[in-house]
Amino acid sequence: MADFQTSTHRKKWIFSPQDLVEKYAASNRRAKETLKQYGTTRMEVDVDGTISFPKPQFDINVNAERPATPKSLNCEEEKLMRVFYEQKIQEVCLAFCFPHKIQATAIIYFKRFYLNWSVMEHHPKQIMLTCIYASCKVEENHVSAEEFGKGTQQDHQMILNNEMLVLQSLGFDLIVYAPYRSIEGFVNEMEGFSGARVEKLQNIKEIAKSEVDKYMLTDAPLLFPPGQLTLASLRKANEVEQVLDFERYLENILFRQGSSHSIFELTESLNAIESLVQKLILPTGKDMQHINRKLKNCWDPSSRDEKERDPEKKKRDPEKKKRKSKRALSETQEAPTAM
Amino acid sequence: MTVAAPGQLNLDESPSWGSRSVDCFEKLEQIGEGTYGQVYMAREIRTGEIVALKKIRMDNEREGFPITAIREIKILKKLQHENVIQLKEIVTSPGPENEQGKSDGNKYRGSIYMVFEYMDHDLTGLSDRPGMRFTVPQIKCYMRQLLTGLHYCHVNQVLHRDIKGSNLLIDNEGNLKLADFGLARSFSSDHNGNLTNRVITLWYRPPELLLGTTKYGPAVDMWSVGCIFAELLHGKPILPGKNEQEQLNKIFELCGSPDEVNWPGVSKIPWYNNFKPSRPLKRRVREVFKLFDRHALELLERMLTLDPSQRISAKDALDAEYFWTDPLPCDPKSLPKYESSHEFQTKKKRQQQRQHEEMAKRQKLQHPQPHARLPPIQQPGQVHAQMRPGPNQPMHPSQPPPVVAGPGHHYGKPRGPPGGPNRYPQGGNPSGGYNPNRGGGGGYSGGGGSYPPQGRGQPYPGGGGGPRGGGSGYGVGGGANYSQGGAYGGGSGAGRGSNMMGSNRNQQYGWQQ
Repeated sequence: MADFQTSTHRKKWIFSPQDLVEKYAASNRRAKETLKQYGTTRMEVDVDGTISFPKPQFDINVNAERPATPKSLNCEEEKLMRVFYEQKIQEVCLAFCFPHKIQATAIIYFKRFYLNWSVMEHHPKQIMLTCIYASCKVEENHVSAEEFGKGTQQDHQMILNNEMLVLQSLGFDLIVYAPYRSIEGFVNEMEGFSGARVEKLQNIKEIAKSEVDKYMLTDAPLLFPPGQLTLASLRKANEVEQVLDFERYLENILFRQGSSHSIFELTESLNAIESLVQKLILPTGKDMQHINRKLKNCWDPSSRDEKERDPEKKKRDPEKKKRKSKRALSETQEAPTAM
Repeated sequence: MTVAAPGQLNLDESPSWGSRSVDCFEKLEQIGEGTYGQVYMAREIRTGEIVALKKIRMDNEREGFPITAIREIKILKKLQHENVIQLKEIVTSPGPENEQGKSDGNKYRGSIYMVFEYMDHDLTGLSDRPGMRFTVPQIKCYMRQLLTGLHYCHVNQVLHRDIKGSNLLIDNEGNLKLADFGLARSFSSDHNGNLTNRVITLWYRPPELLLGTTKYGPAVDMWSVGCIFAELLHGKPILPGKNEQEQLNKIFELCGSPDEVNWPGVSKIPWYNNFKPSRPLKRRVREVFKLFDRHALELLERMLTLDPSQRISAKDALDAEYFWTDPLPCDPKSLPKYESSHEFQTKKKRQQQRQHEEMAKRQKLQHPQPHARLPPIQQPGQVHAQMRPGPNQPMHPSQPPPVVAGPGHHYGKPRGPPGGPNRYPQGGNPSGGYNPNRGGGGGYSGGGGSYPPQGRGQPYPGGGGGPRGGGSGYGVGGGANYSQGGAYGGGSGAGRGSNMMGSNRNQQYGWQQ
């Protein structure tokens, strides 16, 4: 039976907290090194995995002339940036009236993508749009790239250009299990278990859903199987609505599934999920301004001090035109809520 | 741009992210060719393992990575079963150099390859080999594997939607695997959308799809299985319609006309009134196939049931008496091993032979012998009419379906030329002659979404192989190159032709038992 138990989601994409810390630190470190070496973190990845960087912004051999390396983002800032764009995914999907599974899949793609890359290497704004586009394809909710580009006022070619990079970074593991779908099933079961009124159960669903929305902004989807996320959200909802003894309900579930987990382990997981939400920091506008400015410098240090730029530079830089358009893109990020 | 120093990041054999390069494989031989890409037999350099590489072309894609490839990858990654082809991995190759100037399209002009386990034959190719004669235990063995694989798909909520002989791959261990999931779709219980009825190769397409239903389930695949089953026993395709109308007529002539008694609700299916037979026809399955053995006939009756809700499921079919009475299905391993051959290879060999003969001629050493078997140029419909008359089957003086593209072959192909309105029109006129055959159509089969068809190249190769999918190969799309048949498993065109001429095929099959 091909379900979560046999899925690539379970096999390859559930990590320990330590794994995540290491992965985030590694890509941050790599981006920093790139910055030091090349003066920018922006890279292009070809379809065969070849990575190319812009020409160094300075003469590598003449250390004295080397401008100060721009400040890079630290891990916390990267995290804030990711959270910001994960919220954006929710907003964009809502604006397009996509089914909930689209945003869930897109966010999970986005999270998986940034296990491999630093936000300094691939701009999260572009990646977020590509993740949504890919999610629409995979979840059979067709939107043409052009239409989607128009709707988000973005260059759809950019969305397409990043598609292979995203799909490859996901290892083509396209089926993901989101916690939303099982809310329905569990609540139906709770109905039989508790005999609670329909309105109350409806409330439970709503609360649980918005609770899961919050989990999606944390590392929880990379740490716990979707079923546990659902149960955590339902426990929370049940605290409000009080339709049943949740612990007994959990015991019942474990018993029926013949699970080897103890109720203790399960409760621990649910607690851990909840504490991740409590620790969730949503970036403020000010945070984002600061981070965006830094990121812009990492991408294109030359934008920092236009005056000091070597007049010869224009000739040396065939990528200039391209970069300019990229800059235009990143400038729109100064007002992130515009979308 | 400067390229990162090798090894600095991740670019060696096993990257921590992404895909390996196609350079990890040594291409041995092209075994399939379509308008849309190629399939190669290749050897993994590190392990020496033989695989099949199916190219997914990425250029000229307005919607980036093809949705059919996404579906196929998604489904194949989910399905892990001995009777379902295994997608081993996805590898990439760099795009052609100096393409950066092009600003129009996708920057990924490179190629993506799906890596499959290598299979020696497909069922159509194998059965069309000259002198080929399946035994009853062998047929039972193949049928049982087909049903087992399909049952697994259905349990996992996947509809294959293109079951036909050329999509059933067979290796030299006698294992049969379902392949080409390019038209497959997940159907989940919470799926409330409509599905397209423009699926399944015409000759294997069930009546409910022909009548335009857009809500359907696993029973569609079971009809195809019934057609294949009968074909194996009968020695030739049983319902070779040339268009939808004729297909339905053939079905009704064999299975009787549908009415509210034998198929409750049929009159509410969209195109029932357009297609219902003018006079009632009675079911003739038992009569037409009276030479089949009792259990085979019983099972076939239940597969070729008009009403999809009464049609036998894969699971129940596996429990049928047929598989549990003597002669029992044989062990796959006990089956004879056949030399594998692909149309590409045989073609090449023929060419070499020709060259050799030319040379000989020039040297006046000998006169070239006329070739014993060239791929027949005639259209498959004529093949059936002229070369495969079956005693129990009325002749089918039919021309081949006009827009068939051929022979799809298994590993799943980027499908179809920009079939646009022709392939899967949104609510088109049922009798309006849309391209009934998958090989030639646009790629986006599911749900009639807004993705434009992804095919490229030549529309509807005229007179291509029959919808039976005479051609096999690794499913790179019904290209003109496939039109004569088996790219895989021996060139069905050639095989069939000579086979038919040489001997009475019906006897070979032993379908009397």
